Amino acid sequence: MEFLSYLSPMFFTLIAAGALIGVIFGAIPGMTATMAVAVCLPLTYALDLTNGLALLLGLYVGGISGGMVPAVLLNIPGTPSSITTTFDGYPMAKKGEGERALKISIVASLFGGLFSAGVLFYFAPVLADFAIKFSYVEKFLIIFLALTVIASLTKNMLMGIFSGVLGVWLSLIGTYEITDGGNGETRLMFDFMEYYLVAGFSLLPVLIGIFGITTILQDAEKGFKGDAGSPTIKLTKGSRFSLSVFKGQLVNLVRSSSIGTFVGMLPGVGGSAASVLAYTQEKNFSHDSSQMGKGAPQGLVASESSNNALTGGALVPLLSLGIPGDSTTAILIGAFTLQGIQVGPLFIGDNLDTWYIMIAALVVANFLMFGIMFFAIKYIAKVIEVPKHLLYPIIVMMCVVGAYAINYGIMFDVWTLLIFGVFGYIATKVGIELVPLIIGFILGGSAEVYFVKSLESYGNLTIFFTKSPIAVLLWVLIVLSLVFAIFLKVRARKQENLVSSN
Amino acid sequence: MESQFLSLFEVSIAFEESHLFFPRIVSWVLVGLLAIILLSKSNRIAPALRRAGQAVTQGGDGFDRKRFFGTILLIVIYFYMMAVVGDIFPNTGFGFLFVSIPFIFLLSMLYVEHSTRKNILIIAVTAAIAPTLAWYVLSQLFRITLP
Repeated sequence: MEFLSYLSPMFFTLIAAGALIGVIFGAIPGMTATMAVAVCLPLTYALDLTNGLALLLGLYVGGISGGMVPAVLLNIPGTPSSITTTFDGYPMAKKGEGERALKISIVASLFGGLFSAGVLFYFAPVLADFAIKFSYVEKFLIIFLALTVIASLTKNMLMGIFSGVLGVWLSLIGTYEITDGGNGETRLMFDFMEYYLVAGFSLLPVLIGIFGITTILQDAEKGFKGDAGSPTIKLTKGSRFSLSVFKGQLVNLVRSSSIGTFVGMLPGVGGSAASVLAYTQEKNFSHDSSQMGKGAPQGLVASESSNNALTGGALVPLLSLGIPGDSTTAILIGAFTLQGIQVGPLFIGDNLDTWYIMIAALVVANFLMFGIMFFAIKYIAKVIEVPKHLLYPIIVMMCVVGAYAINYGIMFDVWTLLIFGVFGYIATKVGIELVPLIIGFILGGSAEVYFVKSLESYGNLTIFFTKSPIAVLLWVLIVLSLVFAIFLKVRARKQENLVSSN
Repeated sequence: MESQFLSLFEVSIAFEESHLFFPRIVSWVLVGLLAIILLSKSNRIAPALRRAGQAVTQGGDGFDRKRFFGTILLIVIYFYMMAVVGDIFPNTGFGFLFVSIPFIFLLSMLYVEHSTRKNILIIAVTAAIAPTLAWYVLSQLFRITLP
């Protein structure tokens, strides 16, 4: 219980501040939890580990939750994962029950968040213990599996795989570090680039560029027309919120939270998959789904509990295997590294205090998010009226600070922002998927070390199949994920053909 | 027989070449995938390029040229000037502060839909306050390195 001594008033203040800023970012359509973490990153440089974690986890939970506000009030999902919240939230808001819809969503979010924190607490150490025994061979296969899952679940599998490999390729630019057992030579660059790229592209400027600058360029292209769309919806006209709505929703809550947590664990699958899955399951299994899509609380419950359950789920592979589950945890991995935390199988056992602090921060963040949103929702709903022409320039400025300060003042890191901002913009235009790309970029360096070391010690490619039963199991999972993805694609195409032929 | 089969998969990596081993594999996979993608979409590439070219050179297709290229241009000037001004006042963060104020003002003016007097006033005030606040909190209170 020694970790309790770390929980200072500052700790709680930072979580609250993080949650509030996160909610605001989540509430503004087009701005996401990822952006919130990216923009607030410079603040964590000055904080110690405990307080840095407090701020980051507050931002994460708040950012995911905030998406419900425009989903309900404007029919625009604030974050991709709140897409299904619009199905029932907006019809309710049109009936004048906006506040009721939001409060139902907030309670469901709290449940989802706490549920997944519980799963994280019990499951991550088990997975980590299991992963400790992994040698380089299995570690390489785990990364290979993660990338396969991510790539195979994207809209276009070929593009997904290409994006992942491109991410790996980009991560290899730079030196093959002697500290990793390499020979210290540079590769994949011309001589004149060596001065800037000896250490390769820094992770965080790349991420901030792709998620910050790219978004701004995409909106700039559209020209900000009809930007200041003020919602004319009355928040409270119809029936008021009461907890009795949740009567008979326990199954729905638990099912949706489980789906959210599980999807969160799969790397790179993304939030919208979780909420869509939870929503359709509720539709299939509930006694009465006739009102769903017309303003049924059960739809909100399914959607919001599942998307908040993503938070704990996505942290499971991050903390136990060092593999980020989504774009926000991808930035978190960078932020943790700055604080001197090396996430992976050894993390929990070696840093028990930090681990407890994280869980505490996650639980507290959920409660504070709940408190802030439940009692201040009327004011938060106003945030969506803040025009983007004021916000975006400030975001660019904060991105610059984040990139510049990361290596204590390297101007090239700032240019990296622009390079990858423009790159991300063009990439989305030609159909490259950014999430597989990012995960490939993060894991590429380790994949190389594990791959080359395995071959250097065993000298035979067959070792990847014969090293251990776990290696075989991982191959089975890799094949299964591909087969499953192809099966889903074929089924979707068949259904499409059926619909079009009717 | 079995040993012959296994020897097919034998790999030896020379240490001085080891930095190229994995990148070579990844590069070839990447080139291979690219070729497959280009072949499978070959009939759609030319029209898409033409459309993109049209949007960039003439606008239209929902492509706001002024705001898009204006953003990139302003960001380039912003990054460049920050280093220049930062060199005049080293280790103070003034480069960041003095360049951010006009940058935020100009970018906001580029983005704003109706430049009424009220909007311009709000933009001017934001442009003055936001960088100053960020500079004060980060550079002065938290001692974070700024350009």
